[in-house]
Amino acid sequence: MNVFAGVRSAAGAEHKDAGGEALLELTPHRMAVCHLVQVFAPQQEGGPATPPFPFESVAHHNRLGLFLFSLTRSCEDFLEPPLEELLRQLKAVDDLVNGWLCEQLTTTLSGLISPDDLFNFFDKLRGVLTSPEGASVEDEFLDPNSQLGVYLRCCILAFNSMTFEGVCHLLSNLVAYCNSAETAYDLAEDEDFNSEMEMSDLMDADIGVRAGVFDKYGQGYATESHMGESSSSFIHAPMSLHDFDEDKIFKADENPTCLRSRWQLEAYLNQQADILEKDPSSVPLNSFNATMTQLQTLAPELHRVQFLQHLNALSHDDYVSALDNLHRYFDYSAGQGLFSRSLSANQDIIVGKYESALLSLGSLHCYFGHPKKALEAFTEAVRVSQMNNDDSCLAYILGAISNLLSKIGISSTVGIIGSPYSLGNNSGLGTPLSIQQQLLVLLKRSLKRADMLKLTSLISFDHISLAKFDLKHVQRPLVSFGPNASTKLRTCPADVCMNLRLSSHVLSDFGTGDLSTSHDNGSFSTSWLRNLSAASSSWCSSSAKPGKQIVNDFDSFHFNAQPSPIPTSVLQLAGSAYLMRATAWEHYGSAPMVRMNALVYTTCFADAASSPELSLAYVKLIQQLVVFKGYSVAFGALKLAEEKFPSSTNPHIQLLKMQLLHDRALHRGHLRVAQQICDEFGVLSSSVSGVDIELKTEASLRHARTLLAAKQFSQAAVVANSLFSTCYNYNMQVENASVLLLLAEIHKKSDNAVLGLPYALASQSFCKSFNLDLLEASATLTLAELWLALGSSHAKRALSLVYQSLPMILGHGGLELRARAHIVLAKCYLTDPEYSVSEDPCAVLDPLNQAAEDLQVLEYHDMAAEAYYLKAMAYNHLGKEGEREEAAARFKEHVTAVENPRDEEASLAY
Amino acid sequence: MASSKENYRVELRAAARQLGDRCLYSAAKWAAELLVGIEPDAAAPSQPAAMDTPSSSGAGPGGRLLHLHRSGGSSFRRRMRPGGGGGSEAGTPLGGVSYVSTPIPDDDAFDAGADKYLLAKTYFDCREYRRAAHVLRGHVGRKAVFLRCYALYMAGEKRKDEETIELEGSLGKSNVVNQELVALERELSTYRRTGAIDSFGLYLYGIVLRDKGCEGLARTVLVESVNSYPWNWCAWLEIQSLCTTSDILNNLNLKNHWMKDFFIASAHLELKMHEEALKRYERLMGVFRCSDYIQAQIATVQYSMRELDDADMIFEELLRTDPFRVDSMDIYSNLLYAKESLTALSFLAHRVFLTDKYRPESCCIIANYYSLKGQHEKSVLYFQRALKLNRKYLSAWTLMGHEYVELKNTPAAIDAYRRAVDINPRDYRAWYGLGQIYEMMGMPFYALYYFRKSSHLQPNDARLWIAMAQCYESDPLQMIEEAIKCYERAANSNDTEGIALHQLAKLHSMLGQSEEAAFYYKKDVERMEVEERQGQNFVEALLFLAKHCKSIGRYEEAEHYCTRLLDYTGPEKETAKSMLQGIKREQSGFPSMDIDHFAL
Repeated sequence: MNVFAGVRSAAGAEHKDAGGEALLELTPHRMAVCHLVQVFAPQQEGGPATPPFPFESVAHHNRLGLFLFSLTRSCEDFLEPPLEELLRQLKAVDDLVNGWLCEQLTTTLSGLISPDDLFNFFDKLRGVLTSPEGASVEDEFLDPNSQLGVYLRCCILAFNSMTFEGVCHLLSNLVAYCNSAETAYDLAEDEDFNSEMEMSDLMDADIGVRAGVFDKYGQGYATESHMGESSSSFIHAPMSLHDFDEDKIFKADENPTCLRSRWQLEAYLNQQADILEKDPSSVPLNSFNATMTQLQTLAPELHRVQFLQHLNALSHDDYVSALDNLHRYFDYSAGQGLFSRSLSANQDIIVGKYESALLSLGSLHCYFGHPKKALEAFTEAVRVSQMNNDDSCLAYILGAISNLLSKIGISSTVGIIGSPYSLGNNSGLGTPLSIQQQLLVLLKRSLKRADMLKLTSLISFDHISLAKFDLKHVQRPLVSFGPNASTKLRTCPADVCMNLRLSSHVLSDFGTGDLSTSHDNGSFSTSWLRNLSAASSSWCSSSAKPGKQIVNDFDSFHFNAQPSPIPTSVLQLAGSAYLMRATAWEHYGSAPMVRMNALVYTTCFADAASSPELSLAYVKLIQQLVVFKGYSVAFGALKLAEEKFPSSTNPHIQLLKMQLLHDRALHRGHLRVAQQICDEFGVLSSSVSGVDIELKTEASLRHARTLLAAKQFSQAAVVANSLFSTCYNYNMQVENASVLLLLAEIHKKSDNAVLGLPYALASQSFCKSFNLDLLEASATLTLAELWLALGSSHAKRALSLVYQSLPMILGHGGLELRARAHIVLAKCYLTDPEYSVSEDPCAVLDPLNQAAEDLQVLEYHDMAAEAYYLKAMAYNHLGKEGEREEAAARFKEHVTAVENPRDEEASLAY
Repeated sequence: MASSKENYRVELRAAARQLGDRCLYSAAKWAAELLVGIEPDAAAPSQPAAMDTPSSSGAGPGGRLLHLHRSGGSSFRRRMRPGGGGGSEAGTPLGGVSYVSTPIPDDDAFDAGADKYLLAKTYFDCREYRRAAHVLRGHVGRKAVFLRCYALYMAGEKRKDEETIELEGSLGKSNVVNQELVALERELSTYRRTGAIDSFGLYLYGIVLRDKGCEGLARTVLVESVNSYPWNWCAWLEIQSLCTTSDILNNLNLKNHWMKDFFIASAHLELKMHEEALKRYERLMGVFRCSDYIQAQIATVQYSMRELDDADMIFEELLRTDPFRVDSMDIYSNLLYAKESLTALSFLAHRVFLTDKYRPESCCIIANYYSLKGQHEKSVLYFQRALKLNRKYLSAWTLMGHEYVELKNTPAAIDAYRRAVDINPRDYRAWYGLGQIYEMMGMPFYALYYFRKSSHLQPNDARLWIAMAQCYESDPLQMIEEAIKCYERAANSNDTEGIALHQLAKLHSMLGQSEEAAFYYKKDVERMEVEERQGQNFVEALLFLAKHCKSIGRYEEAEHYCTRLLDYTGPEKETAKSMLQGIKREQSGFPSMDIDHFAL
């Protein structure tokens, strides 16, 4: 026992890469594979044209070769599969020779009963590698330098360097391995056994995510039943998932040495980490922890496990355990190997990298919404990494800080990042920077560092962050002197586009950069192996039913099983760029671009996307639907989305649902329901100030709108005003534009057009400087309405304003906005003293008809009533009494619907 | 009283014999030690053995035990029969609590298998466990069954130890388990269900369950075992190791036997409830006046309560009466380390080295000696040896962490501390050590987590609160208010070094809260006066108080402080002088100044 083991060997061995298989541990499973290789290796009798004895054809022979190849590389689980599992997989290859291979394997292995048998076994193996005497170069024999050859040599070497005790262990393990296939099922009688494991399983069952214990179990189960159809000789009693699980664990306890190589273990852990990141809700908290604990007892020096436990706790919102596991992991590993997926793995570091501990701690606090603590941790991380000259970590920290700053509203900047080491002073300015400026400085610095250090993913991340920043903030020059300094107070969409484009470069850069080193993580062969039986079962059935000929069974390997060669993290980043593009276009007001980008995201990146991001894309698509197609279509789509992401667990979908319900309630005039949903909104956000800012903003915006709809103007104005000051405080200028517009709207509705004008103008100018084109059009429209309200003398001016905004609105606006524009247009004409209906009835009636149609879809009674009213007036002028009566009747219908809202309860259903 | 002592003797004699007969050596040792620890009766001529002074140990106990067993055993039989049914035989209460008497179970009658049993026991004594188990196969007597299972368990343990060395894989040590556990558990659980199990079997079942990780069930089974046979100290120890919180301890369903007092006292010591432990041990001393074990435990408690001198005396006495003792001597060495008495420590180290150098305690003592000498590399070496002998030796991990800190090997220190914490999460010293290291590395915010943990476990330790406060106070964090809160906790929990008061005063004056600052300075001055320590802090406090009193117009007090300042040399003296003049001028000159003013 070496007490340094925890520090040194971990450091040394963590960096052992794929080639580190040279010192593998010999296990019964490996011996089985060795035996199969021996069978596979061509014997010298029989020319190269005919395949060796048990094989029917060259293709059959190759099939076994491929199978063996993937076996030597695979990593499905941290434990090696039991013999039974191997036999099951082997069956796919073996069916043609009536189970000859399986039978041969079991008899050979169970025939090894004394240490001397083992010696003979490996002696025979050596014979496979040496080319027979007199064999020419063209003769086929197993190349010692091929994958299988190296594997054999490793095994032989491992056996030769074994002590006698080791041989004894191997022998007893081998006996257990052979017996496990026969006695796997009568062990369950042990009642007290693994009661804790059962407990954790039951606990998870309560949570209701039991079905997804692990993808692989589900997969295994599915293929099993598949196999049952095609091969009746090998019947599995259909086991419940639970039994399956327990069975596996039991064997693990029996054969604690049956571990895979370190490389494969790491690959397994990486896989699990990816699953955790992608879809945390699919991983049950307790049974995952149980698996990890088991892994930890089997490989106590593999500290990465603790980090996974940390991640697991994090994704299940278990603060205490996440914190504990974080500290434990870094205490043991000193921060080694955490970034081995992205940093070059061969650094020989003795000094602990504790700055990464701080980085993770900061992210943890950020995740749990403790901005102060997170900042403290990040500040300390910056200091420590500067002290240790850890540039790459510093770059990551800067990225994390900017993420924090952009995510969490911090009203007072002074004293939060007070450390002279981190920020502020370095920029050469005596005055303290505003939080936004600090954010920009940080981002740029992080980007520069990442660029220098070739941290591809960080570069991409920083570009996305920069785009996010450019989208919402006006970049002021940090230093501006005198009158010559040009101050262009506008955001720059070109910058956003450029950054987003640059961030997508990660897709092409990852191969040359840092990510390639860790690319080969074994998952490739795993999924291959997993699909092998599925593919081959179809192959078997096709040979049974010649009518359904499948051209080439190996195609199914290549096209079904081959995983994407691009690492998930890269795909995620690239996907985020598209999602960000959709958001950007949402701001700039181009509906088709939003739709297109969201669609690209959902089609191309859905496999790699994490569930929150994917659901966000869905949300964007559904939001587009509701704006352009009305509620019934949107709710239909929402139902589909909810099937994929249950709204109880996914905040995005939940939020969307409430938004839709609220909008519809407002349109239908079901104010009580609207208020109820508003209250629910308020509950969603955290009570800590500075956290969930966006949610809070939206909640009070909706509150104000509800009050406005209830004609409680003064209260609505109060809410909107306080919202404005909050947004101002947190520097949320984009939100301010819509708040100002709302204020203008409130004043307009309360017949204070004069008071409303400045708000509308302010909103317009905000929109201009942030390039919010659609919102600007809407503000212009409001402005026109306000002018119109000032009297008929302003009708011309209003009309020109409406015409000004029409192209944007008709091109990109939603149903509601278009209808509003049409109504305003009609109103302008009607109030214009120079205009008479009889001369040009189409100028009024066309827009009104269009508006009425659109509003019908939206069920917007209030405005629909207005449209019909105007229509009736117009017809009245024209003297068309029939149409007038009809319009009047519709008008009455809508008015009564608003005044006597019926079946309000229905508004909550969809 | 005498008869009750006699009762204890009878019980312990029988227990030592029965335990020894079942090869439960350490429990038998404990019982025998306790037996001679009972205060000798003044008038007990029928018990010549009890007249022996306990100091005459060595080869003595074994022989005496046999002798006692013969005479005591028969007398016990005679007595037990009439009293077996009624409660009249209940032991005399120690502290007003009445004990439940537990009848000493009869051993299996010498049946046909007795000779085989004898053979098996001799094999067991020679550490040929599998052979012993093999001899007893097929025997159904409870005693035979127990010895067979126990032998199997021991064989498994032996194999496990061997395998641990054999299997050092690339993934660190793989978890070697005792191969016999599964079979043993199956067999013993069947016996338990059918009721064909005695208390020794239950004990074995308990440890098997513990090894398998079923702690709850293990606890239940062990409690069952001690309730039916309370004299098996090993069973109590196992229960204690499974009682990690006082809640678990209080919820144990234990019969009120006098052995329970030993258990509760020891458990309290483990759970750091020192006062309670000490009280209980002192009560037990009433009967077991000569017991070395109780003495050692009391000394341990006193060491934990930082009463070093008292503990030192007890340990010295222990060593005098039992010069070849190694148990608890590691604590003595810690004590000597704390007292920095090199000679005594070297003497102790030499002694245990000669007695048994391959005991973890011995290695720990030698390591302590080297550490005190400042030879930290050697110290680490011996700690490593101690840990090789017992991987779960908690204090060695912590102490080794300290050594690594001295060697400036932070990753190794963190690793050592972390292992200590993982073995026992209640080890506040290791948490504190971790915090200290991170603070040293310039990560005060990160360190706070560890200090928080340690002060949570030991809320009345001023040192921990001060460490935490210093973190908050440190340059990068500058969280003065939090620091003040911590110092307040420290000041309230008997801060012997007086750092807290001084810092509190300083921080308050920094924040401009001079009232509070003055309050703490005054308290600090009072404390220093009592302790007759007058250094720079004293001068600083006086100066502040003088200035403060002057500024709020309490001239007499200010004068008092200034005059006291005059006793010291340095710049403060001059300041005090000028302040005194100023005070005098203001006191006398205040009206004159008015006059001046009017005159102008």
